[in-house]
Amino acid sequence: MAKKISVGIADMKIARQEGELITYALGSCIGVAFYDPMIKLGALLHIMLPEKNMTDSNVFKYADSGVRETLRKLQAFGATKGRLVCKIAGGAKMFEMKGPGGLGNIGERNAQNVKRVLMAEGLRVSSEDTGANYARTMSLDVATGKVYIRSAGRPERML
Amino acid sequence: MAISRYEDMNEMEKDILKEIGSIGGGNAATALSSLLSAKVNMLVPRVEILEFNEALNKLGDPEEVVAAVMVEMTGEVEGIMLFTAPGEFTDEVVFRMLGKAKVSLMELDEIDISVLTEIGNIVISSYINALSALTGVAVELSVPQLAVNMLGGIMSLPMAMMGQHSDRIMMVTGEFDIDGKALKSGMLLLPDVKSLNILMKKLGVDS
Repeated sequence: MAKKISVGIADMKIARQEGELITYALGSCIGVAFYDPMIKLGALLHIMLPEKNMTDSNVFKYADSGVRETLRKLQAFGATKGRLVCKIAGGAKMFEMKGPGGLGNIGERNAQNVKRVLMAEGLRVSSEDTGANYARTMSLDVATGKVYIRSAGRPERML
Repeated sequence: MAISRYEDMNEMEKDILKEIGSIGGGNAATALSSLLSAKVNMLVPRVEILEFNEALNKLGDPEEVVAAVMVEMTGEVEGIMLFTAPGEFTDEVVFRMLGKAKVSLMELDEIDISVLTEIGNIVISSYINALSALTGVAVELSVPQLAVNMLGGIMSLPMAMMGQHSDRIMMVTGEFDIDGKALKSGMLLLPDVKSLNILMKKLGVDS
């Protein structure tokens, strides 16, 4: 059994060769899996909000700063952008909200911004499982690059 | 000094929230008691200010499926209220209200859903009543909504709401005891930071 490395909220972990990176119950948050198949290097990022505000030092909380910091680290470990495969999951709408603050569509905004930032970095999302109204647990098998999505009351899905 | 983040609250301010939690929880227990025709007690509430991952671990397994009722507050105080109940709690309620045996949370029918939504609504309203009675603020509530899903996913809503200001979340948690059976449930009272300051001011706490 490969070693499980758990990724928290507003967190990112990198693993090489083997192991399973896993992040539990993504709601409106987004999990972004990065994988370089040639050197078997993988990263899993769990972001919560679309855009970083200036004063916050927690880079992995936001789509824009989180993606950029993850890419910087992966490149330091030898990954190249041309080989990276990105897969995303999450961005659900757990409740219908009408009130102020735009929280109702936070999942959707997260997903859009992750894709926008990845595109700006020259990366493309190869597959995704986003939206709807249920939470997802996302795992990345670093030996194979396969991404699995688990959710309550639904069969496991491979991305 | 005004409160700009939850973690800036002092002990006295936390005590006040605990008191609101106590009164709200007491009211909720009384209401539940007559509805379920059972003896319902509220155990002493806790006010906790925890980092996101800590808060999730404390509430339980993030993948555990729970029923959650959410209500938005608007008016003088804005924010959300979230009541979460795991299967044990909902089983007890559905059994007592409808006489039905255990139902899986993923297979609730329309009647189960409306019963659970109403229970959540009653609990939440009890807290809101305590809050407005103590502070004199007028709070408007949205229609309650029920979601049944993984705890972690449900919690992403309050976390996203607080995330802009802080890495922490404030929880007023309580446990109900129905006919001697302690049943865990969570009540999250989440006024936004601006509203928190209004509340403290109304209560005469000038820190």
